[in-house]
This record gives sequence, structure tokens and C-alpha cells, in this order.
Amino acid sequence: MSDMNYNSMSAAAARNEAPYEGASAPAEEKKQKKTEKKKKRRRRMLYVLIFVAAFLAGVASKRISPSWAKDYTAEWDDSLGTLEKDLPYGDKPAQKYDLYLPADDTKDSYGLVIYLHPGGFTSGDKSGDVNMLSWLCKKGYVAAGINYTLFTEENPDANIYTQSVEIRDAVPVIVDKAKELGYNITEMAAGGGSAGHCLAMLYAYRDADTSPVSVKFVFGAVGPSSFYPEDWGCYGFDQGTDKALEGAAGLFGKMAGKEITPDMFGTPAYDDAMKDISALLNIDDDTVPSLFCYGAYDKVQSFAASKRLDVALTEHGIPHDYLVAPHSGHGLQNDSGVMHEYSKKLAEYLDTYLPVQ
Amino acid sequence: MTEKRKQVIKFIIIAVVAFVLGRLALRFGLNLLLGGTMFGGDFL
Repeated sequence: MSDMNYNSMSAAAARNEAPYEGASAPAEEKKQKKTEKKKKRRRRMLYVLIFVAAFLAGVASKRISPSWAKDYTAEWDDSLGTLEKDLPYGDKPAQKYDLYLPADDTKDSYGLVIYLHPGGFTSGDKSGDVNMLSWLCKKGYVAAGINYTLFTEENPDANIYTQSVEIRDAVPVIVDKAKELGYNITEMAAGGGSAGHCLAMLYAYRDADTSPVSVKFVFGAVGPSSFYPEDWGCYGFDQGTDKALEGAAGLFGKMAGKEITPDMFGTPAYDDAMKDISALLNIDDDTVPSLFCYGAYDKVQSFAASKRLDVALTEHGIPHDYLVAPHSGHGLQNDSGVMHEYSKKLAEYLDTYLPVQ
Repeated sequence: MTEKRKQVIKFIIIAVVAFVLGRLALRFGLNLLLGGTMFGGDFL
């Protein structure tokens, strides 16, 4: 090897270049490696994107209503009838109702179905039940969604009892208004979800006698029906400790709008105090047929209380259907099969106890 | 099996797993708030 050759090789090595033609291979290899790395990175990005997109699609898919649900709901449109919104039944701002009047106004008499919104007695609005009320209207009923004064900072005195009185006062106003608009109401049913179910039961079990028309049945889901601390494990009231009982007395007292003390639990005085807001304590031989559904893992209100409801209705020989969603909580969210059954039963109850004339 | 085919299978597996995890995540969240079991009843 000549000196010249040797020198050019060492110069090339110093510059980290291939010293001769055959040495371009490592550079290409490097380039290839780089391209491969880029490809891998791009593929990894694609994996992440696919994962995120499919994850979100999975979340969204849970929000899709089951195919049977369309048979028990309806989108409101004017072909269904007339919707009178925010009619007052009292002077307070919340005392308003929406009245759904079926398109066919030629009948001699109509059945009324009131539906009371959920929201833990502290929130919610009748507008959340448009699809349910529209479905009832489509079936030929006069339907009414009723708002009531919620327990809030502005209304600290509102409680289940005052809300139930508002519903009681609203019904005659609704019946009169419907008559004024050409719909003669002769019988009715009451329903609701959660807090609304509680109020519907109170109306049907406690106040049916005051109704201007005969109450034929009550339906609903996950409504609190009685208030015994041992049933309310969802809030730890079943522990039986002083703290638990004080907590129960505080909550149940607020709900009833009464002074409840821990020493009252288990005494007749407690039942007397709670009768105003306990559907269970208003059941007798004249109680109307009832359809209800509860979630076995309810964290918001007592599932155990619903068992008492079932027992009391059975003891008094009241026709009723008690459906349990065995994998669900307060939203009945994991048992669409049971929800389907409940919806089918509701259609049956309407046909049986409140048939469209 | 070609490289492309392998990749497509990988994508499908990732998509299915992520879809199921998405459903489980929402179910878990709702159960946390409202009560309920992770399995049984509806599909996941």
C-alpha cells in the first residue's frame, strides 16, 4: 500500500467516512436502521391511535339504547298532539307542569298519566322525561310532567313531604286544565323515576283518596319507599353505632322535614313521624296495583327497603310486580333485559288498568 | 403469513381489547357512582 493511499484512508477514517467504495455499506445500514426506527415509531403511534379510538368507541357503545327501547319511547313532534309547556299549578317558581295532549281529541274520556322526574329531590326537571311522556301521549293518554320545589340552598325548607303535597295539589289543577282544553279525564296513573317514583308512590298510596279521578296504578323505579336505618347500608346506617344512627336521624329528619332523634328508631313514634313520606307505611287493602323495579346493588337508596314493599303488598293481596336488576345499582344500568321486562310490564299495566277508550 | 397480514391482525386485536376496556371502564365508573357488578347482566 502506497503512502498516498494510506494517508487518504486515515483521513477518511478521521472524518468517519468509508475509506473506499466497499465501505459505503455501514452508512446505508445506518440509514436503513433509521428508516426502520421511523417506521416502528409510526406503527407504535398507529397502535396508540387505534387503541384510543376503539376505547372511546367502547365507551360510546355503552350509551347506545338497546333496540327494544324504541318501542317504549317517542320523540316529540306535533303530529303526536299538542304540548302545553310550563303551565302553573301554584305560585312558586317551580310549580309548573307540561301537558301532553293526544292528537285525537274526539273521545269522551281520557286517562291521565303523571310522570315525576328523578334527581334525588334536589335536582332534575320535567324536560328530562320528554321521551317517556311523548310515548304515553302517542299511546292516547293525556300525560303530564310535573316539577316540584327542590331542596336547594334557596329552598332549604323543601323536603319529600312538601314535594309530595305539591304533587297532590297539582293533580286537580291538571285535570281541570285538561278538561278546559277538551280532554275529559276520568282516571289516572302515577309514575316516576327515583325521587319521582317515591313521590308517585306517596301520591298513589297516601293521597289517592284526594284525587279528583280514580288512581288505577302506580309504577316506577328505584324510589325510596321506607326509612329504617338497618336497610340503609348504602350510607353505613346499618352499622348501629351512635354515629351511624345520628347520621340516619339527620338525613331522614331532613327528608321528612321533622325532628328525628336516634332514640326514636324502632319505636311506633318513629313510624308515626315517617308515615308522611314512607310509601310502605301507607299500604293497606285498598292500595292500587303497583309495578316497580330496583337495582340489587343500589348505592343511592336502600334496596332492602324495596323487599319490605314487596312483602307488604303481598300481605295485603295487592296485585304487583317487583322486578330486580341483579347486577345493577341505582341506574339499573347493567341489566337491560330486566329493563325490557319492566317496559313490557308497564305497557301491560297501561292496557289492563288504564285502557285507552 | 405476510408482514402486512400480521400487522392487520395486531391492529384488530388492539382494537377489540381497547373496545372491551372502554366498555368496562364506563361500567366501572357507573358502578362506582350508582352501584353494580363488573360482570354479569349486559355484555360487560
